[in-house]
Amino acid sequence: MTKTRFEALAQAYGGDVTRWPEVERDAALRLLAAQPRLARTVLAPALTLDMALDALPAPAADADLRARVLAAAPKARAATPWRRWIAGAGVGLTLASACAAGVAVVASAARPSADDRRADAVLIDASVDVPAADPSAQDQT
Amino acid sequence: MTAAGAPDPDEALVARVGRGDPAAAQMLVSRKLPRMLALAARMLGDKGEAEDVAQEAMLKAWKQAPVWKPGVAKFDTWLHRVALNLCYDRLRRRREQPMATPPEQVDTGPAPDRGLMAADTGRRVGMALAALPERQREAVVLCHYQELGNIEAASLMEISVEALESLLSRGRRALRVALADLAQGGKL
Repeated sequence: MTKTRFEALAQAYGGDVTRWPEVERDAALRLLAAQPRLARTVLAPALTLDMALDALPAPAADADLRARVLAAAPKARAATPWRRWIAGAGVGLTLASACAAGVAVVASAARPSADDRRADAVLIDASVDVPAADPSAQDQT
Repeated sequence: MTAAGAPDPDEALVARVGRGDPAAAQMLVSRKLPRMLALAARMLGDKGEAEDVAQEAMLKAWKQAPVWKPGVAKFDTWLHRVALNLCYDRLRRRREQPMATPPEQVDTGPAPDRGLMAADTGRRVGMALAALPERQREAVVLCHYQELGNIEAASLMEISVEALESLLSRGRRALRVALADLAQGGKL
């Protein structure tokens, strides 16, 4: 690693080498061992800024906010007698198939917002090397 | 495992949430709500708006959990994208409808462990961060505060790692200039 690259990494990622890109850490530490003054001339100023940034605390999630979020969490569906009867009669499978077809029709007709498409893009990007994955089914919110 | 090969630490928890496990929901809230709140607060500089964004992102997580497909992307990455989209919606609205008064600065309330000097430094940092161009702020927030790796942050921002480093460098340089008097005054 060159000194220029070492400086660029400190400028971008700060003065803590353990937070630098993993693939460059070993080389950076070797350079640091060979040129220890880099700790003072390059890392120290970057660490000063890191400490300043850390002085900005994040607000705490208060109890009301937690309660509002938790109130909307998915609930387990209780097994009612009629649902057991439907499942036992095999009708459940038929209904599930019909519902799945309906969902597919609705999903294909839905027009996701641009923001949702960007969120989907995260999934699509991540699945490029996984042919078996079906990212289009991931998020329809 | 995600497509990138890294295991997703949230995978099992999200599956339990999707099945309606209330303990898992509580755990996911503990794990993600503060993280999304911090992200939004630093992107928006407004506690009330940050709470709205964090809540809305978590509601989207609840909808996603029952249909989440493990192995495609990390849940945390997806949730960051959702929250960032919500932040950008609000930043766009601010540009379109300039507010009569600036947003309230993030204030974490009384904090006896932090002295006045630290609180003042925090306020200054908040103002300097808010003054950055949005993409520079996003890069600094994702890498410094959210502690995402460079590849993950670049992917979220839909840019190359080189472009991310450029945004980080310019952002940090601007912050250093804005906060130079704090360093010189020995307040850091």
